[in-house]
Amino acid sequence: MLKPHLTRDSAEQYILGALAPEKAAALEAHTLECEPCAVLLQEEALLSEQLTEAASTFPREERVVRPLAWHARRAATGAAIAALAAAASLTLVLLTGDKPAHPSVPDSLDANPPTLALELDEGDAPTKSNVVACPDLATQDFCTRKAAERGLLVMNPWGTAEVPRYEARTGLPEGALSARQPVSL
Amino acid sequence: MEASRGTDEESLSRKALAGDRGAWDALVARHHRRVVVSLLARGVRVDRAHELAQETWARLIQQQQRGLLTELRLPNLALTQAAFLAADDARRVRRESISGAVEELPERQHPVDPAVSAERRLLSEEQLSRAHAALAQVSPSARSVFLLACDGQELPHAEVAAKVGLSVQRVRQILCEVRKKLRTALEEETHA
Repeated sequence: MLKPHLTRDSAEQYILGALAPEKAAALEAHTLECEPCAVLLQEEALLSEQLTEAASTFPREERVVRPLAWHARRAATGAAIAALAAAASLTLVLLTGDKPAHPSVPDSLDANPPTLALELDEGDAPTKSNVVACPDLATQDFCTRKAAERGLLVMNPWGTAEVPRYEARTGLPEGALSARQPVSL
Repeated sequence: MEASRGTDEESLSRKALAGDRGAWDALVARHHRRVVVSLLARGVRVDRAHELAQETWARLIQQQQRGLLTELRLPNLALTQAAFLAADDARRVRRESISGAVEELPERQHPVDPAVSAERRLLSEEQLSRAHAALAQVSPSARSVFLLACDGQELPHAEVAAKVGLSVQRVRQILCEVRKKLRTALEEETHA
């Protein structure tokens, strides 16, 4: 019996492991009889391997420049961030209260670099902790922008804390941006 | 969670090196698909890819039992072993095609260069930078999903979904979207 040819989508789903076992088996059986479909499957597999290479070599942005006195300054501002995981609300959630000034940054931060750079202005810094959670991927950009306008720090939906990042235009010494260690400013 | 996974992987590897069959099973379950996909990418037929992937694990376990395995870094070790088996397979097919009458075998059945290891680079520097540029263009959220799922650590989609607070279906949807963008970026390079 002639089985349907592969589409790029079905080949992709197969490679991603998203096909039901019986569909995957049917697809495999077809590629054994149909050379063009076997080539299509090979192309998708090759792309998958190439993407793995691209992902594993993608420069992560975990190199965050922190002035030596960063922790002290940050403690002084009282600004903090807390994680709010998996909520589906579209609204900003503002919490006030005495949150720890140094939320522990989970290792997963390395995999999910900060998406927003905000410098804390000590003069305007709120005295209470301001926690903004953007729990929804679809609204995260909007949420981030609105929070940035209000001078707040933003949570990523996967619950890692935001870390202020200092941009090159701030006149940092050369090499400071790529430094792995805290840099004296 | 990233750390716990890393620890989990290390602990499994340690147990596997000590001969724990359960640990081997867990590692095989985690990395088997990647081994099969890597073989498919080399042009191995899908039925043979499954056989070679099984053979790969059998060889690794055998090496461990003989005390030849001092370190277990997956998936790289399995990918290298699979590439070696594929190359061996290809050589055998070539020999048979010389002695027999199967010279019409399509080229894709023996495309494996014996000298090529799993460590080979699949992308040129230019392709890599194009892929990175395209990846930098996607939304931070989508990029995170992609990097979590595709960085070679074989984090199952369900775990990626749990990490980012999305459904598995949405994670796969995002992966397909990012994949399309990167495919386009890589094809642009080819046609340039």
